[in-house]
Amino acid sequence: MAHEEEEPKRVVQYPLDLESYKILDKVGASPCAVVYKAVCVPMNSTVVAIKAINLDQAWWWQSKPPPLSHPNVLNALCSFTDDQHLWLVMPFMSAGSLQSIISSSFPDGLSEPCIAIILKQTLTALSFLHTQQHTHRDIKPGNILIDSNGSVKLSFFGLLASIYQALRSTRQGWSTLLADAPYWRAPEVIHSQQGYTVKADIWSFGITALELAHGRPPLSSSNHNNFSKAFKEMVASCLHQDPSKRPSAETLLKHSFFENCGGLDFLVKNVLQGLPSLEQRFKGSKINIHAPLRSKNREVGDSSCSSGRQSIEQRRISSWSFNEDEFELDPVYPTDSTDSVVKKVRFGGETILMETGELIPSLSRQVLEKATQVDYYSEAKNIMSNIEVMVETLVTLMRSLDVQRATVTAGMVQLRGEEGGEVSNEELMAQVIERQRVELENETKSMSELEMELLVLKLQVGSYDGRSCGAD
Amino acid sequence: MKGLFKSKPRTPAEVVRQTRDLLLYVQRASDTRESKREEKQMSELGKNIRELKSILYGNSESEPVAEACAKLTDEFFKENTLRLLILCLPKLNLEARKDATQVVANLQRQQVQSRLIASDYLEANIDLMDVLISGYENTDMALHYGAMLRECIRHQSVARYVLESQHMKKFFDYIQLPNFDIAADAAATFKELLTRHKSTVAEFLSKNYDWFFAEYNSKLLESSNYITRRQAIKLLGDILLDRSNSAVMTRYVSSRDNLRILMNLLRETSKSIQIEAFHVFKLFAANQNKPTDIIGILIANRSKLLRLFADFKTDKEDQEFEADKAQVVREIASLEPREP
Repeated sequence: MAHEEEEPKRVVQYPLDLESYKILDKVGASPCAVVYKAVCVPMNSTVVAIKAINLDQAWWWQSKPPPLSHPNVLNALCSFTDDQHLWLVMPFMSAGSLQSIISSSFPDGLSEPCIAIILKQTLTALSFLHTQQHTHRDIKPGNILIDSNGSVKLSFFGLLASIYQALRSTRQGWSTLLADAPYWRAPEVIHSQQGYTVKADIWSFGITALELAHGRPPLSSSNHNNFSKAFKEMVASCLHQDPSKRPSAETLLKHSFFENCGGLDFLVKNVLQGLPSLEQRFKGSKINIHAPLRSKNREVGDSSCSSGRQSIEQRRISSWSFNEDEFELDPVYPTDSTDSVVKKVRFGGETILMETGELIPSLSRQVLEKATQVDYYSEAKNIMSNIEVMVETLVTLMRSLDVQRATVTAGMVQLRGEEGGEVSNEELMAQVIERQRVELENETKSMSELEMELLVLKLQVGSYDGRSCGAD
Repeated sequence: MKGLFKSKPRTPAEVVRQTRDLLLYVQRASDTRESKREEKQMSELGKNIRELKSILYGNSESEPVAEACAKLTDEFFKENTLRLLILCLPKLNLEARKDATQVVANLQRQQVQSRLIASDYLEANIDLMDVLISGYENTDMALHYGAMLRECIRHQSVARYVLESQHMKKFFDYIQLPNFDIAADAAATFKELLTRHKSTVAEFLSKNYDWFFAEYNSKLLESSNYITRRQAIKLLGDILLDRSNSAVMTRYVSSRDNLRILMNLLRETSKSIQIEAFHVFKLFAANQNKPTDIIGILIANRSKLLRLFADFKTDKEDQEFEADKAQVVREIASLEPREP
């Protein structure tokens, strides 16, 4: 076989050892991975992004398909392992991901013309992947990256997908892992354990559109809702419950929403200008723990190091349906569930009653919080604040016990002091004492119960520390 | 040559024939540097391969048609098109390589008159496997040849050839290559070889037990590379727990050397490795005919093992795991020393 130097394109082979890269700064992090900005020293110090994934937290992985070349698809330049970590070297996209752009600078979402430009390029990438017989499996703002010139790339590593996919192959099955249906997954992926199809990508694409528009998960009503009809229709078609009714990526590209779509310079001018650098944004995001978009929460729930199990009894959400008027998702509860807590209530009805102001009833907020905010930090914080409340209650109880003891003692003293007094008075006192004793007993009992609870909570906190895996 | 490039709609067989002619041309013209003419041939070839792909997979407008696929497959294997395509693959551009890989993959599953004729072809041209496997030594070709190889070993006879060939030994190195993509691809092929065709695998393992497990232990399970150990222990579990390999399993769990390796893996700091190691270790404990030296080791380490299992938990509740663990604990706790 004489086939040396026949390579027309793919010429540069990036080095496969960590020593060749000089790490400059941390620019992103999730529980199972960290992203660095780095330079590749032997390659004229080309700036690259390196994602270090902790494979000990993946159930299994698989080789990725041969690299794809498409202007809107971001591939790894190379990948290698170093102990438990897989290092993915990628081109450095200076504006970062949409997740990071939105959470740092556009908390209320992007404007429609900008969304159109971004989504059109994303769709081009998706359509390309689909014609190559690939499913992406993880379309989300965090995986859509923008370069300084406004060009949009969808990151696609076959490997990452399989880490997430692996969840379904765990020994105990998939449905028990997540108490509620994750809204970014197509209903058929959650409910039928059949494979992931291209139409499930379309669902996630629709969700991504909503997230770009609202600047947060499309579950809580946002301040603005004045989107164009074309946009609403386009998203609604992606979020059809029946996968066969969702359009293909190619068909979507022809949707009127993408007509007269602006150019890259529009994006540069309206989104990228004045954006803080990736490093600054990352530092900022550490302070702002509750990122408005899902990926932070989602990666916790999604990856194998998730905290999936929670003992809180609440209504389980079996799926989500799209409310085109509100331009958000409504939860759907199982109708045939044996779970006694489940009621057939849809939020649509409740929101009408609420009329103004707070569009989400408090009940739904609880559920939403559970569905969307399962990151360790807030969970641990909840437990900590629970403990604080508990301690306060215990202190109060102790005080009330003291008071009661004082009353009883006083009563006893009185009793002794009035020896030989009227029998009826003595009887009365005996009754009081008896009552007080019963009360005291009850209080002691409830106090020890509370102490037990406190202990359990402490243990849980302890195990949180143990579990907060690769987050940092 | 002129009549070749008419733009009339062509039959699937014609596309195959034209592809073959172009491949022959490309193969012959290997020495000359890129001339205009050669470039044109190359782009023509790329188009033809893409057309083959769209006949086999369908495109956005149409689903694949069974009859067209059968015609294409028939013509493809009638002559040596597959050999030409494999040998010329390094000369094609990246897009054409990917298309060609998908075409070859798809052809392995196509039936002509309810026969997998690809299997017959490969049996007669089994040396092509040597070309595909050696692809792991070439960074540019590894993933393309690797993907083709994995499709080819779907045929049992082809898998048997690879298992019994000298190439099998090379996989122990391929799966530890520094390039993660290639290493992972080789690992996927290795796993496929050792799990897909049950009877062939059982026969291979019995015949090659000594060298295979010696290599497996020293190169993979005791590798300094985390990824290698992790994948190897998982695959070992899959192999030994497969009913068809019960004879091999019995032999494996009677060796004190193997037990020592597994006990070391149980002590790893990686939870994932520990859990996978447990699924193999439990076989040693559950073995009802434990050799004396195995019993001796288990008793000597009894308190350490029981302590280890006491804190041993999966991240998520797993009843099966808990039941297995309870049984292993009972088994170890009740061991009594035997006279040698």
